Formats: sequence, C-alpha cells, structure tokens
Amino acid sequence: MDEILLARIQFAANISFHILFPTITIALGWVLLFFKWRHHRTGESRWMQAYRFWVKVFALSFALGVVSGITMSFQFGTNWPGFMEKVGNVAGPLLAYEVLTAFFLEATFLGIMLFGEKRVSPRMHTLATFLVAAGTTASAFWILVLNSWMHTPVGYELREGVVHATDWWAIVFNPSMPYRLSHMLLASGLTVAFLLAGLSAWRWLRGDRGADVLTALRTGVFLGAALIPVQIFVGDLHGLNTLEHQPAKIAAMEGIWEDERGAGLRLFAIPDEEARTNHAEIEVPYLASLILTHSLDGEIQGLNSFPGAHPPVAPVFFAFRVMVGTGLLMLLVSWIGAWLLWKQKPLPTLWLKGMVLMSFSGWVATLAGWYVTEIGRQPWLVTGVLRTAEAASAVPAGMILTTLLMYLAVYLGLITAYISVVFHLAKKAGGAVDPSSGTQDRPTTLAGATS
Amino acid sequence: MSGLDAGNWLPLVFMGLMALAMLIYVVLDGYDLGVGVLLPFARPEDRDLAIAAIGPFWDANETWLVLGVGLLLVAFPLAHGVILGALYLPVALMLIGLILRGVAFDFRYKVGAEHKPLWDRVFHIGSLLASFAQGWMLGHYITGFAPGWGAHAFALLIGVCLCAGYALLGAGWLLIKADGPLQAAAVGWARKALIGTAIGVAAVSLATPLVSPTIFAKWFQLPGLIALLPIPLATAALFVMAWVFLRRLGQDARNDNQRGLDRWAWAPFACAVGIFVLAFFGLAYSLYPYLVIDRIDIWQAASSPESLAIILVGAGITLPVILGYTIYAYRVFWGKAHGHAYGL
Repeated sequence: MDEILLARIQFAANISFHILFPTITIALGWVLLFFKWRHHRTGESRWMQAYRFWVKVFALSFALGVVSGITMSFQFGTNWPGFMEKVGNVAGPLLAYEVLTAFFLEATFLGIMLFGEKRVSPRMHTLATFLVAAGTTASAFWILVLNSWMHTPVGYELREGVVHATDWWAIVFNPSMPYRLSHMLLASGLTVAFLLAGLSAWRWLRGDRGADVLTALRTGVFLGAALIPVQIFVGDLHGLNTLEHQPAKIAAMEGIWEDERGAGLRLFAIPDEEARTNHAEIEVPYLASLILTHSLDGEIQGLNSFPGAHPPVAPVFFAFRVMVGTGLLMLLVSWIGAWLLWKQKPLPTLWLKGMVLMSFSGWVATLAGWYVTEIGRQPWLVTGVLRTAEAASAVPAGMILTTLLMYLAVYLGLITAYISVVFHLAKKAGGAVDPSSGTQDRPTTLAGATS
Repeated sequence: MSGLDAGNWLPLVFMGLMALAMLIYVVLDGYDLGVGVLLPFARPEDRDLAIAAIGPFWDANETWLVLGVGLLLVAFPLAHGVILGALYLPVALMLIGLILRGVAFDFRYKVGAEHKPLWDRVFHIGSLLASFAQGWMLGHYITGFAPGWGAHAFALLIGVCLCAGYALLGAGWLLIKADGPLQAAAVGWARKALIGTAIGVAAVSLATPLVSPTIFAKWFQLPGLIALLPIPLATAALFVMAWVFLRRLGQDARNDNQRGLDRWAWAPFACAVGIFVLAFFGLAYSLYPYLVIDRIDIWQAASSPESLAIILVGAGITLPVILGYTIYAYRVFWGKAHGHAYGL
C-alpha cells in the first residue's frame, strides 16, 4: 500500500477512535448538570444516584477522549505537514482558540468535579460541572468551525500559494458551519440518550430496578424521542447545504451517475465505479429529487459531471445508508418507548432488549455520518484549495504501517476494556443498591412493570 | 531583521509563549509521569495514595503539552512538520505511553480488585514509555537529528536520564502530598533519581556545544562566558542543596520526626523545579533563534503576522484566566492527599 493511503487509514483510525468519546462527553456533561439540577429542585435521592453512576461513565469517556485527542494534535503535523503549511493561517488560530478556551477549562474543572466534592461548596461543585459541560461544547464549536471551513472555505485569499485569512467572521460562520455544528451536537445528544436508555434497560432486565435506574431510562428515552425528529430535520437542511456547496458528495451519497431530472431514491444498490453504474438497484421514483430539491422533477447532477474530482462512491453511498437506517431505527424504538413510559405501561422484555442492543447505536450513526462527510470531501482536504495527496508527509510506508498496527492494537484493547468496564460499573451499581433509598420513591404506577 | 514590524517581534513573542508552555508542561506533567515511573516501587497499599496525589491535576497538566505543540503547530507550521516528521517514531511511542497512562488512571478506579494490578502496570508502563520517549525526542532534537550510532546512543541516554529527572519531580511531589511510609520511601527514590538527573543535565550541557559551532561560540566566548557562568553554577548549587535536604529528610524519616519531615518536605521539589528551569533556560539560550539547529529559525518558520496577532489577542485574554483557575484548583487541593479521596 502507498504512503498516502496508509497515512489516511492511520489518521482515520485515530480520529474514529477519538470521536467516540467526545460524542458521549459533550452531551453527558449537560445531562449530569440536569441530574444535579433536578436533585437540587426536588430533593429526591434518585437524581443524585443517577448523577453518581453516570459521572463515572463521564470520567472514563473523558479520559479516553483526552488521550486520543492529544494524538490528533500531533498527527496533524506528522501525517499532514502540507495541511498546516498551506492553510495554517486559518487552521492555526481556530485550533489555538480551542486549546485556550476549552481544553484547560474542562481539564481543570473536571479535577474539581471528580475529586473536589468534599473540598468545595455545593454551589462551586455545580459551577464546576457547568464549566466542564461548557468546555466540551466550546471545544466542539471550534473544531467544527475548522472542519466546516475545510468543506466550505471562505474569507481567505491566496498569496504565493498560501492561504491568508481576510475575514474571520466569514471563516467562523462559514456556510456549512451552523448545519454541521447542530447536526453533531444533536448526534451527541442522541448517542447519550441511547446509552442512558440502553444501559438502564440492561440493569432493569437484570432486576436492578431502583428509582435511579428508571430515572436514567426515562431521561434517555424522552431525550432520544425528542431529539431524533429534530435531527432528521437538521440532517435534511445539512443535505441541502451540501447540495449547494459540494454537489459531488451528494451524487455519491445518492449513487447518481448521470445528471438526472426526477431522480429516484436508491434504497439499496451496489455502486460500480469501473462500469460507472449501480447493480441490484432498489429505487423509489422521484424521491431523491423531492428530498433534495423539494420538487418532483428537480435536477440532480450526477457523478459523471465531476470527472476526476468526485469521492469514492461505494463507501459514501453505504455509510449514508447506515447513518439514515440507524436514525430511523432510533425514531422507531424511542417513540415506542416514550409511548410506553407516557402511558405507564409495563415495559416489555423485547423492547428492553432492543434498547440494550441500541446502547451504542449513536456511535454507529455518528461514525457513519463522519465517513459520509469526510470521504465525501475527497479528493480534497480543503475543498478547491488543497488536495489530500498534496498534504501528505514523506514518512516511509513501513514506518506508518508499524505505528498504525501499534495504534490499532491499543485502540482495540481500549474499546474492549471501555465497553466491558461500563457494563461492569452498571453491574456493580446494581449490587450496591441501598434498598431503603433505591426502591422507595419509585412511582407505584410502574409497579406492574416489574412483573 | 530590523525595525519593530509585526513580522519581526510576533515570532519572538510566540517562541517565548511556546517555550513557557513546554516548560510548564515538563515540570507539571513531569511530576505526574514521575509518580507513574515510581509506582512499582511503592508498596501495593500505598499505590492509591500515590495516585490520589496526582489525581486532580494530571489532566490539566497534560493540556500544557497540547498548548506547547499547538503553538509550534500554529505559529511555526514549517518547523512543526520538520521536527515531528524527524521524530515520527518516538512521538508515536510517547503518544501510546500517554494514552496508556491516562486511561489506566481511570480504569484502575473502576475495575474489580482482581484487575487493578493489571491497570497499575499499564499506568507504570505508559508513564515510563512517555518519559523515555520524551527524553529520546529531546536527545535527538538537540543533535539536530544527526544520523549515526553515536547520536542515537546519546538520544537513548537522554531518554533514560529524563525518566530519572521525572522520577525526581515525582518523588519530590510525593514528599509534599503524601505522609507515612510513602513519604519516607519517596526520600530514598529522590536521592537515586537525583544522580540520574545529574548525569542527564551534564550530558546535555556537554553535547549541545559540541553539536554545533554556533552554540559553542555562544557559550565559550568572552564576555558572554562570564555573564552565563551563573547558570551552570546555580544548577550545581541546586543539586548540592537537594542532596543536603534529602539527607536531612532521610534522617527525619528514620527517626520518625514528622515535624521535621513536613517542615522541609517542599525543598527537594523546589530544587528539582529550579534545576529543570535552569536547564531549560540554558537549552533555550543555546538554540535561539533556531527551531531546528542551524537550519530553520523562528522567522523562517512563522505563520503570517495577521494570524499570529489573532492568536495573541486570544492568548492575552485567556492565559491569565487559565493561570487564575489553575492556581484556584491547586488551592482547592492544597495539603496532603488522601488515598480514598476519589469522590466517585
């Protein structure tokens, strides 16, 4: 394999591993704050118990996010030296603002949040929780500004082949930023919603039915049910924005080869880049045009209109379907769950098991979504400005392969350890439930659910 | 390079900021990594206390590395590519070390008792690997990435010595934050680590002038020599002072004189910080104005002045705030650590 492909695989492996954990911590920080706030308002112990359990998951996810994030900050230079040389004048300040406004804030107050509860006032502890949540969100803001700018670069000029910033307002609020940021923050909310619900459903199935477990289950289900329609709406807006700025990506997502009026939505197909056509197509007529142009006979540009400058089709096409499919599944199970909980019905075992299976569905959808947008930007690293191949380093392939295998071994071990420790924590929490505080304030109307 | 235009002084300011971030990183994460290096020497029942002593701090400490490398990346992109490209392998090893150290810290609190020794070992190996790789990078860097076995052997020696240097900081930190048998044990560790640190500082001081005639001329020319003489002299004095304090603390520990221990427990750490600061300053003086010895200077490598100015505005506002809440966090956790302080 050649150096560029290896460098891309290595970077993709690291960034894929990394994104799993901020996706959890961004929203979980706010959920923890919500738990604290509810406890403060109601005085019910179940909220604090939920906080104490989920703060452990938060701490573990945060640690994994930090260490893999540090890896990223080095790999910008080791894998893509051409990136900073060409667009460093834009990327540099954005990354610097992320470190200065977010990283120190979250890291410092996380120490107080986790270790300082007995050393500071309750008010200060809540403030620390708030600052950690705000820090993770600020971090998401800056990095998504940069990523969006790489998709839709504006506010710059080229001098001697190097990008110079001319309008920071335009750079920060570049055309795809509001959509991408909303889409990602919602993805984080959904990931946490399904993790809350899934892990709580698992505890519930094991007979660990304290009020705190039900509280986390309800929080997860209602949060998921509320966010998923918003996410579908924002995703549609994001798609329209992409059609305007990166039509080749849309053509790959939809598997459309020729310019087409009234294009059908390919529910399934096997794109064949050699033959420049799809096999085994299942299509709903007119639907792609309807969704993307909001008109039945709207025209969509096909891949053949972008000779040599469109992304690899199959990965984008399939990843998009995985993302949308997972999203629709989320809609189904969370609305069923919301209905069951709303009507205070007994919770059927089948639904609970479904929720357990969906515990990490947010990860699947988030990764698939990032693959769509990042592979969909190829062959560009910065659309129209810098090709990925131009940014690659001269490090020999053997060296990249060796370090890639090391990283993969470490990440595989860590992801296994993470998931098993999260379930171990859930098991331990159930074993340590204090019967006097645990079951007492469970609503009696749900007593039927235990039978 | 004349005049006071932004293209002239901004790279200087950023070099200063970057050096400051790196120095803070080396001292602060140095004691974290040092505790990790020393962990297997602590009795199993003392290990929770050793780790509680760095628990609230390590994450923020590590962030200074992100800032330092981040400033290299954003202010001097050209040098960032050259330096990290040349250090590709040790950088990867260091990152794996930092990953293992950071996650082991959290895992060890959450797994069952039967898996705890495993994560303690991961914590130790991660800390050791990161410390060694950083020393290796330093050794490689100050020879200007010279090829050949001699240069590589030198880099490996610095790797070993930096482990000792961090162990010195770690033992010094434990002297301050721990009590009982762990505090007493830290005295002995600090004395051994002090010797390794001395070898490392001497090796770096002797090698840098030999690597480049430019650096040689800077140090061994009158009247510069006289002006610079306080640096090696003060460094030597700090080594002697640390040795004397450690002997005294060793006696106090043997005689169970807790008051004596607490009175001077801060001194070895302070001496160690002083040694690191002076060594860092000497190195910075040797290298200036180069980012890669005799090849790339700070002006050649700098980003555009407009971009640097934007970052400087942000840094000017946020860095004082960061320092403020960092001091606040250290005040919150002032005093001795407790083995079961983990609020989870």
